[in-house]
Amino acid sequence: MLIRRVTIAILLIAASAAAASFPPINYRHRTLANGLEVYSIEDHATPTVAINVWYRVGSKNDPEGRSGFAHLFEHIMFKATAHMKSEMLDRLTEDVGGMNNAYTHPDRTVYYEVIPSNYLQTLLWAEGDRMGALTVDEANFKSERDVVKEEYRFRVLAPSYGRFNNSLSKDSYAVHPYKRPGIGSIENLDASTLADVQAFHSTYYRPDNAVLIVAGDFDPKQFDTWVDRYLGSVPKPTTEIPRVTVKEPARTEEKHFAEHGANVPLPAVGLTWLIPPAQSDDTEALQVASTILSDGDSSRLYQSLVYKKQLAQSANANADTREDTGLFTVTAVMAGGKKPEDGIAALRQEIDALGAKAVTSAELDKAKNLIITGALRERETNDGKASALGEAITQFHDAAYVNRGLERLQAVTAADVQRVVKKYLVDAKAVVITYTQEAK
Amino acid sequence: MKATFLTAAALSLALHPAIAQVETTPPPPAAPRQLQIPKPVEKTLSNGLRVIVIEKKGVPLVAARLLIKNGGEADPANLAGLADTTASLLTKGTTTKSAEEIARGIEALGATLDTGAGWDESSADVSVMSSKLPQALGFLADVVRHPTFKQEEIDRLRQQNVDALSVAMKQPGRLASFVMAHAIFGTTRYGHYLGGTPESLTRIKRDDIVDFHNEYYRPSNAILILGGDIAPAQAFAIAQERFGGWKGAPEVARVLARANEFPSPHVIVVDMPAAGQAAVVAGRPGLRRADPAYYLSLVTNSILGGGYSSRLNEEIRIKRGLSYGAGSSFDLRRDVGPFTATVQTKNESAGEVAGLVVDELNKLGTTPVEDAELGPRKAVLIGGFGRQLETNAGIVGRIGTLALYGLSLDEINRYISGVQGITAADIQKFAAAHLGGNDASIVIVGDAKKFLPTLQQRFKNVEVIPIDELDVNSPTLRKAK
Repeated sequence: MLIRRVTIAILLIAASAAAASFPPINYRHRTLANGLEVYSIEDHATPTVAINVWYRVGSKNDPEGRSGFAHLFEHIMFKATAHMKSEMLDRLTEDVGGMNNAYTHPDRTVYYEVIPSNYLQTLLWAEGDRMGALTVDEANFKSERDVVKEEYRFRVLAPSYGRFNNSLSKDSYAVHPYKRPGIGSIENLDASTLADVQAFHSTYYRPDNAVLIVAGDFDPKQFDTWVDRYLGSVPKPTTEIPRVTVKEPARTEEKHFAEHGANVPLPAVGLTWLIPPAQSDDTEALQVASTILSDGDSSRLYQSLVYKKQLAQSANANADTREDTGLFTVTAVMAGGKKPEDGIAALRQEIDALGAKAVTSAELDKAKNLIITGALRERETNDGKASALGEAITQFHDAAYVNRGLERLQAVTAADVQRVVKKYLVDAKAVVITYTQEAK
Repeated sequence: MKATFLTAAALSLALHPAIAQVETTPPPPAAPRQLQIPKPVEKTLSNGLRVIVIEKKGVPLVAARLLIKNGGEADPANLAGLADTTASLLTKGTTTKSAEEIARGIEALGATLDTGAGWDESSADVSVMSSKLPQALGFLADVVRHPTFKQEEIDRLRQQNVDALSVAMKQPGRLASFVMAHAIFGTTRYGHYLGGTPESLTRIKRDDIVDFHNEYYRPSNAILILGGDIAPAQAFAIAQERFGGWKGAPEVARVLARANEFPSPHVIVVDMPAAGQAAVVAGRPGLRRADPAYYLSLVTNSILGGGYSSRLNEEIRIKRGLSYGAGSSFDLRRDVGPFTATVQTKNESAGEVAGLVVDELNKLGTTPVEDAELGPRKAVLIGGFGRQLETNAGIVGRIGTLALYGLSLDEINRYISGVQGITAADIQKFAAAHLGGNDASIVIVGDAKKFLPTLQQRFKNVEVIPIDELDVNSPTLRKAK
């Protein structure tokens, strides 16, 4: 028996006097008997539909000694399934004028397609099929593993700052599996087997660990029928879904790391701090802090490090909130001839300043306007709307957050920003990373 | 393990009768729905500025783009990077506002303002909430009309660009594309670097920048395109208010001395022993944007290297696991732009990959494409076109390109039929004339000792330039001894 629950969110975001009113995302929701969560956003502006399947499994679930496996598995999901041969998903999307892709996050793996809307039924069948079973063979597995090794070289080895980006999580977490790089390593990728693939699928790729989100041009009744038929029929296993329970302890001392890369003409520096899980009440204030620090040419890091002091080639801040303990990072690539220690000191100075004195209302409003305009830009497309909703569901455990989050953002005060900067950054312990050219 | 897994699945099949309904083949599509193509409307202000508006309701945002119809192609021979430097400095101070005031003002609106130069155009782009368009266009007009080009800002930008180039020169892919520009264009107008080199940037003086701005930043040499949630009448009124008083300096005809002979093809290896991966690029002169073979070039490239299931990616990634991605493109410009095919692969495979690329280039000219392949590759283009029209920036970009090259804006309504009209015979003839792999230059940047023997088995006259001897300013690409 199907339990049907329909939620329609009609929330008009009342923006601050300075900002425009914000059109909410209206969605429908129901939970199938096999546990699959289904969300849909109807919009007939274009004859396309975006399909997202969000699995609650990410790089943090990489098996021991198999760093990079969740991501390798994501690639394998485009190979043979019960009723599709390898690359058939491309035939059903790309070949008819659609597209498909996927990404692996520390907390989740997301598969998405944008297709002409008359192919919705076809693709719901395909998503149900690959949720049901994979039948990839050894040759295809090995060939795709080689592709992922090339991706590793492309992302980590070839670019000057690939290893630096990898080191941010690696050096920042003491015990949480977030410390392992999602892209893995050549050795760990080589160690993975076809048996690992089947075990991973049966453990995590199941309806009660997935969220289906469809946005665009469809008929809701027809959609419900197809979802029941193709996804409602995927069996729900009786086994437990293993979850990561490790908790990252608070830092007790500042730690310094010296990292190196092969082609590093300008050194880079980074400072990181631990921040609470995305669901924390402090998330929006941390987002505002990171926007004030580094969004645009009027941002504090750009004005100070890049423009006035000319210490850095670029400088960035990021509030990387996750399902579990996240990271606040500030990084800079030094300008030619400038010393990394001066970059670190200047980054600290900006963090301290943000903790010492409340921001002006003009600076606060600027940050909110930038975040809201960015969110609007994301919502221009069906895929962007589906993606915003998926993030609310998986990171914030609340679909309504897709609208409520922007209300919460509007409510952030200057005192909130100052408080979270003091609490999580100024009064906490940093990890400090210096990245330079390795000895030849 | 696999067998065990399948048994478990079979068991659950039996327990869930619902599954019996599931088809083993995909359900067919329903009837397609028609794509709505946006309708541009335009008017020309009395000062000659062409204003184009495309209204698109929905999200309360507008994208605005001001195009100047000259870019890097107008860089004097020894001043590579002049157009880009000029455009980048627009936001760094005007007669009434400092760089910081401009940044703070535009960002207070939640807007972005980006300026830069392409090969044939210089541009200033704004993305903003509809309700704040008048103020944002005020900033756009100010930076285009009244930049001051302070020496302090010129010096700061130069240092930043020189630093950025020092990083770019260490990336195999970036360096390969620099060297390929040399290989394809020599000393013709697209043969230098859009962003300049450390040496050319040092030669650019304030007077060069002021002259470039006076000469090209004129209302009669500009186009303003606005797309999004804005009524045309309102958009025209705002454009009139912000740009109506723009006069610009009187026009002077400048003739740039340029070679017009392309170099003959060659194979160049830049030996970078520390490269984490090799970049392999094949390239040759392609087409002008206004060439009647425009649609032919699109469909041909879609088969060869446009999109995931194109032949290059199929052969190199999907079949052989040799790369994370292989692709190609025609960069269509006012004059003949480049065709390039690009792949990154582990150093050991670079020679094999170069051979595979050349084989695919040759094959298109010798063997006709089957309908079963042609139809899907056209669908890729038509679908991509539709997705581009979903965003304001996409619409403004597409209409802006038509306007820049003096093509009819109505061309946007002919895109789908233009693509659909191409036949397999057209493609074979076109590919034989424009894509023959034996006439392409090859550039590889990587750890040469790992691939040179394989490469030399296939290609004769491979020129190897050690990274320490490379000089991207020199026509020979080598430092003077």
